[in-house]
Formats: sequence, C-alpha cells, structure tokens
Amino acid sequence: MLDGQAAIEISDLVFRYVPSGPEVLRGVNVRVETGEFIALIGQNGAGKTTLAKHFNGLLKPSSGTVRVLGRDTRSAPVADLARTVGYVYQNPDHQIFAQRVRTEAAFGPRNLGLGQAEVDRRVDAALALVGLQDFADEFAFSLGRGQRQKLAVASVLAMEPPILVVDEPTTGLDQAGSRGILDLLSRWNADGRTIVAITHDMTLVAERVPRTIVVNDGRILADGPTRQVLSDTALLRTAYLRPPQATRIAQRLSDLGVAADTLTVTELYTQMSRLLGRGG
Amino acid sequence: MPVGYSIYVDRPSYVHHQLDPRTKLAALGAIFVLALAFNHPAVLGGLVLLVLVVGRLAQVGWRSMAPFLAGSVWFLVLGVVIWPLYVQGGPDLFTVAGQSITLNGLLFGLAMGLRVALMVTAAGVWMMTTSPQKLTVGLLHLGLPYKAGVAMTAAIRFVPLLNAERATIAEAQQARALDLRQGNPLTRVLKSVAIIGPLFIRAIDVAQGLALAMDARGFAARDSRTSIVELRLTRADRIIMYSLLGASILAVVLRLLGIGLITRNYL
Repeated sequence: MLDGQAAIEISDLVFRYVPSGPEVLRGVNVRVETGEFIALIGQNGAGKTTLAKHFNGLLKPSSGTVRVLGRDTRSAPVADLARTVGYVYQNPDHQIFAQRVRTEAAFGPRNLGLGQAEVDRRVDAALALVGLQDFADEFAFSLGRGQRQKLAVASVLAMEPPILVVDEPTTGLDQAGSRGILDLLSRWNADGRTIVAITHDMTLVAERVPRTIVVNDGRILADGPTRQVLSDTALLRTAYLRPPQATRIAQRLSDLGVAADTLTVTELYTQMSRLLGRGG
Repeated sequence: MPVGYSIYVDRPSYVHHQLDPRTKLAALGAIFVLALAFNHPAVLGGLVLLVLVVGRLAQVGWRSMAPFLAGSVWFLVLGVVIWPLYVQGGPDLFTVAGQSITLNGLLFGLAMGLRVALMVTAAGVWMMTTSPQKLTVGLLHLGLPYKAGVAMTAAIRFVPLLNAERATIAEAQQARALDLRQGNPLTRVLKSVAIIGPLFIRAIDVAQGLALAMDARGFAARDSRTSIVELRLTRADRIIMYSLLGASILAVVLRLLGIGLITRNYL
C-alpha cells in the first residue's frame, strides 16, 4: 500500500437517486485511513447506507469524487471493486442462496477467480473466524437468524477484502450475537484491515469503535474520536441520537466528579468505586 | 387512498376516480381483443396512440409510460427481423441469403411488435390509473370471492415490492463480485441463480408474513365483509362499456372478414 494513500477518500460528494430529485447526500467529505475501524451512526433516513454504498461503487456520485485506495469508483465496476471493498448487507436473506454453508461462503472467492485450494483455505478460515466451522456442511437455510448473519459476514470475509463495510450487522440479533459480530470485526480490524460499520447500537460503538462519524440529513454532522463524539449530548440531539446509557448516567453524576466523557459501564464502575472509596 | 407500494399513482383525473374499476377492466379486456383481432401495423399503431392519449387524459406522465414502450422495443426489433422470413406477400424489397424479404413480411413483424407494445402499455396505464383497492371491490361486485380478490390485489401490490427486493439482492451479490455483464448467455443464466434463489425465499417469507399479519387481524372471520369503497356504475360507465363491447364484436367480425389484416395465415 502506498504511503499517504487513504483507504477511502471522499470529496464534496453529492448524490441524488434521480437526476432532478432531492440531494440525499449534500457535500460529504470523509477520509478513512488504512486500518481504521469506523462507526457510521445517524437516524433512519439520514443517508448512512447511501453513503456506504458509495464505498464499493454500488452508487456513483452525482458530483464530487469517491476514491477507494486511490481508484475513482466512477470508472470501476462493482464486481471489480468487490475485490477491495467487501460489503455485508443488513439482511442475510438477501444473499444466501446456496444449499450448504460452505458453498455459500465460497461464492465470493470463486467469483474472484481463485483456485479450489485457495477458495477452501479462505472459506475454512472465514467460517472458523465467525465460529461456523462445525456447520460447514449444514443447510444454509436451516441456520438460525444469528448464524445466518454470521454466514453473511463470513461469505464476505472469505474474499479477504482490505476494506470491509458492514450495514447494521447487529440488527435482529440478541446481545450475545451482536457482541459476537463486533468481536469478530475487532479481530479482523486488528489484522490491519479497514472496517466501516453502520449501526444504531451506541453501547457497542462506545466499547469497540475508535472513530465515529455522525450522518445527519445527508451531511457529516460530526467526525472524530468516539469518546468525543458520543459524549457530546447536544450534538447528538441535533441528529436525534442519544449517548450510550453509561455516558448519560455519568453526565448526570458529573457534579460528583464523574467524567462527562465516560463511555462504558466498566469506566463508570471504576470511577464510582473510586468515589465511594473502594478500590482504585 | 392508501395503496401501499404499487405503481398506481393517484391523480385527480376522471379516469382515476369517476370511471368504475369494472369499466377500466373491461377496457383492458377490449384492448386485448382488439390487439389480437388485427395484425396491421396501422391499426395497432393507432391503438397504441389511443392508449397513450387516454394515459395523458388521466394525467399519467410521458415518463411513466415510456418504460412500457421501451420494454417493447425488443419485440419490435425481433418481430421485424424474424417475421419477414415466414410471411410473404406484397412487393419484394430485397434478398437476404437467398430469402426474399417482402413488404408484407416487414409490416407483419412491425405489427407483432406493436401488438406487444399495445398490450404492455395498456396494462401499464391500467395499473397506474386503477387503485388496487377499488379494483378488488369491483371484482367482488362481479362475484369474485373476497379471499380471491385480496389474493389478486396482494399479487399486484407485491410486484414492485419484489422488484425492490430483487434490486437489493442483485446489489448484495455484485458486492460479492458477481459480474452479470460477463460470460456467455448460459453462464449468465447460471449466475442469475444467485439472485433468483434468495428472491424466492424472500417471496415466501413475505407471503408468510402477510398471511400471519392478516390472520392476526381477523381476516376471513366472516363470510362477507363491508367495504369503505362504494362503487356505482354511472351512465358514462354504461356507455363506455357498451362501446367497448361493440368495438370488440366489430373487431372479431372484421377479423372474420379479413379487414385490418396483413395476412390471415397467422394470428
């Protein structure tokens, strides 16, 4: 990878679904460095998915540019960009079609034209990463919701893209399932890969994701370290969002000396213990 | 009027609100009879224009009607390419590979394309101007059991919904490097399994969900039901229906007499 080249670089992106229609994205500038883990948050209809679909060229800018590893998405077909940017859809049922779990996970790598040995290696690795290794020969449709979600993620991971976009990976999953997916993304990110996750789960963002971008009404309302963004209650309110519960409690307790930018239950617990004269 | 996610577009037009849905259904039926009765491009072309004019009177935009015409272009091209090889008659125009192409052959091919364009455009205009809800009530008046009526409107309502699902699935698979633009026709068909498979599953899912939601709200708890939509056949409806019936009978008679045809050998 070239020095100084961003994973994703977006400048003055304006997007309309129909040429004379309203601007869904209204002048977006974002630079994502290689190896970052980013959360895209915002209320429904804010433009998160529309923005994310520009990352792999599913949507092309009406004006402005989107560059993925230096390549302008306007001149690159989606199937080509798929080598660089993996995109996991919100609903796994929009992509699962193969009978067996293994075949489903192999679909992406096969499309990349890899040899059988390499496909097998990647599929095994991806299934192991999401914890589905024991289900490789099961019927894909007989998996539960959480497992189908994991399969959807695995089938994209198996393509080993340097950049991964996941659209609401935790929708419809219980807390354990959501954590499982986020753990997985963290591990994937630890290998130096870039991850952009669209999510509504503030608690998980607070715990796992270093940088947060708030999308509101087609614009970037805030972009910075998660601690700074998620503790700015006034800013989040403009985007109809609320800080994580631990942060809200911490802010109510701020006159007792609890830091207003507390993000997680663990942080809150540590401070409270200290205040109450225990531990710390 | 709430119609859900259908291609019906509510406009304050006579065709939308004053005409009875039964009249509009009869009109669609009559257009189909006329389309099949004639095979002269002038007649069929005239009828296409008539449908477009009715569409405009109903305030349907050109942009909404254009896709239906555009979708028929392939049939027009195929018709003009293939039919002259089978239909002979009239002056010879030129020869291709030992086969002489005649004027009647070309006209017949053109007519077959226009026939498709006519049916497709008429069905499109009909769907854009007839609220599914009113259509169901109209069919109930015609003696359709209301469960069947609901099934039918649900089917119409689900066309755009499933189309949206198809688009999403296609995107999801493209994001997994599925390239539908490459390969020969056979491999492309095989590739489309990746889209048709999930689409089927989604369709079954959606249908199950709908059935459950309807059961949960007491659907079919009684044998008959009331409707918020009241229909009344007006004088204008009757006049239009009789005219349509007359036009259909006339078309069949003309067909038997061989008027408005390029050839009697083909439908």
